[in-house]
Amino acid sequence: MSGSPVAAQPFFLEARVERRFCLYHAPAPGRPCRGALVYVHPFAEEMNKSRRMAALAARRLAGEGVAVLQVDLHGCGDSSGDFAEARWETWLEDIALARDWLERRAGVRAGLWGLRLGALLALDFARLDGKRLERLVLWQPVTGGEAFLTQFLRLRLARDMVGAGSGAESGAGKGTTALRQSLLGGETLEIAGYELAPELAAAIDGCDAASLVPAGIPVDWFEVVPEAGRPMPPGRRRVADGWLERDADLRVHLVTGLPFWGTQEIAECAELVEATVSVCKEEGEGASIAD
Amino acid sequence: MRSFNDVRNLLADTLSLGERGLAMGPETPLLGSLPELDSMAVVQLIAALEEYYDFRVDDDEISADAFATLGSLVDFVDGKLMR
Repeated sequence: MSGSPVAAQPFFLEARVERRFCLYHAPAPGRPCRGALVYVHPFAEEMNKSRRMAALAARRLAGEGVAVLQVDLHGCGDSSGDFAEARWETWLEDIALARDWLERRAGVRAGLWGLRLGALLALDFARLDGKRLERLVLWQPVTGGEAFLTQFLRLRLARDMVGAGSGAESGAGKGTTALRQSLLGGETLEIAGYELAPELAAAIDGCDAASLVPAGIPVDWFEVVPEAGRPMPPGRRRVADGWLERDADLRVHLVTGLPFWGTQEIAECAELVEATVSVCKEEGEGASIAD
Repeated sequence: MRSFNDVRNLLADTLSLGERGLAMGPETPLLGSLPELDSMAVVQLIAALEEYYDFRVDDDEISADAFATLGSLVDFVDGKLMR
């Protein structure tokens, strides 16, 4: 039986530069803490669209004895800083800060739970991490930063995307190539209401899941497919297989639902929440930080 | 029409067409006829195709012709898969 939910506790963590808004979901009282996860949110508008899912899952996890810390990365959500100031490197520092706080508070070793670009960021963190993460929970990880950035840049071009005729003039000088040139030239671009700095764009461009094989950490990759029986997209399956070939401790879980991080109406995927909770309940008590 | 079913499914999923999606054939007109296929949806559909097939759609490949009908879209995808 799960414990009754405890209200999430909002607070600010002092970072090297300014502060980060955090929400701590304490594990249900009167039961052993069986784990701890730092939630790494997705990029730009996806963060907003997935708030509900993140909150639902965080509460369910806490109810089952898993401590969860949500941290708004620099320049995002309710944290200090403008989005234009956001940097990949600072985000990695934010994750370290959050992880260390959570481990001290919960008394067990923490893992990361990332959604979409947050999952890619979590993988990069794992690569650089001096300590060892307890686990990685990846919700629909972005596998290619370059492709992801291109899709984001296209939002600015959407209106002009499909010109008349066979496209000879429609994209001239206005396509994603031109936008990338602007970024290379040091220009910050406004995309769908978000100020994208060249440094952040470059960091995203350079990140590729295939080369971020998580070593020595149990990884649970959750993939949302539109209908039961649909396969994992072949390109994504290739990334997972590539990791397995390099001895990653990886399990892939397919769940059915809508791509809630991108849908126009706020959507939920109960199956994803339950599958995640199941997986996090499997282990016994969380590894103490003394281990 | 090698990729017909997959492309039709991706289109139906992206635009949340449900049953209507299943009823579509190669001649079904898309751009300009399907109200759900606005500019944002075109961006999402291209992203869905790129994700699924793990190929890249270049700026200059995106044209009204490719999106004219479901059949032309499938031809576009088949063409890329053959390269």
